[in-house]
Amino acid sequence: MGLFDAIGIAGSGLTADRIRMDVTAENLANAQTTKAANGKPYQRQEVQLAQVGARNFGGALSNALAQSGPKPGGVQVTGIVADNSPDQQVYDPGNPEANAKGYVLMPNVSTVTEMTDMISESQSYQSDVTAMQTAKSMFTSTLGLLK
Amino acid sequence: MIVPPIGGLGGGLAVSPAEGLAQSSQSSGGVAAGGEAGSFGGQLTEAISSLEQTQNNASAASQALATGNVSNPEAAVVTVEDAQLSMELASQLRNKATEAVTNIFNTQA
Repeated sequence: MGLFDAIGIAGSGLTADRIRMDVTAENLANAQTTKAANGKPYQRQEVQLAQVGARNFGGALSNALAQSGPKPGGVQVTGIVADNSPDQQVYDPGNPEANAKGYVLMPNVSTVTEMTDMISESQSYQSDVTAMQTAKSMFTSTLGLLK
Repeated sequence: MIVPPIGGLGGGLAVSPAEGLAQSSQSSGGVAAGGEAGSFGGQLTEAISSLEQTQNNASAASQALATGNVSNPEAAVVTVEDAQLSMELASQLRNKATEAVTNIFNTQA
């Protein structure tokens, strides 16, 4: 354990929350996109998070040999995966993408869900910033003992 | 002067005789210019080179941030914080050591 691990861990949380925010912004921006890269309607993306060292075989082995639990290492983004829930069907006969019955396949993005996700990301980012500030002020007050 | 060992200084400054020095001398190939391994001078040299490394990292991170070449601004912030706190710790330790020497000098008065 180093001195400034808490700051690094909070920093990993900041990175993860920023990536979650990026993905939410992408989902919102493409909420009406009927042609994604594969020619189909855009699919909502989700971020997969994992604890650092949680699934790493080497880390698990060295922990087992040292007979200790996993050291706190923060969070990491292990992937951005597509949400496979079905596309929305919207009746819009005038749309050039409409099928014979007048329905258009729209992305499976719910603006309300994305907005609530965004609140959670914002709060989580704030709490990481607070953790970082607290770790820093704890260390600074320890240094104050030397004065 | 007896310097009590400070545990768990692996990341920033290596001052602890038992743990910190063994770790840092392994990583740097066991070069201790200030004296034999385990001596106070050797530890101080290790600590200062580690401090210089964190300062260089912070300087590189700031430059990358300023030129827009950074993909992870949070990591740059963490690097700069690390450098700042390491520098504060080093300067406080230096102040304390200077104070001790000044006290010894003042025994003449």
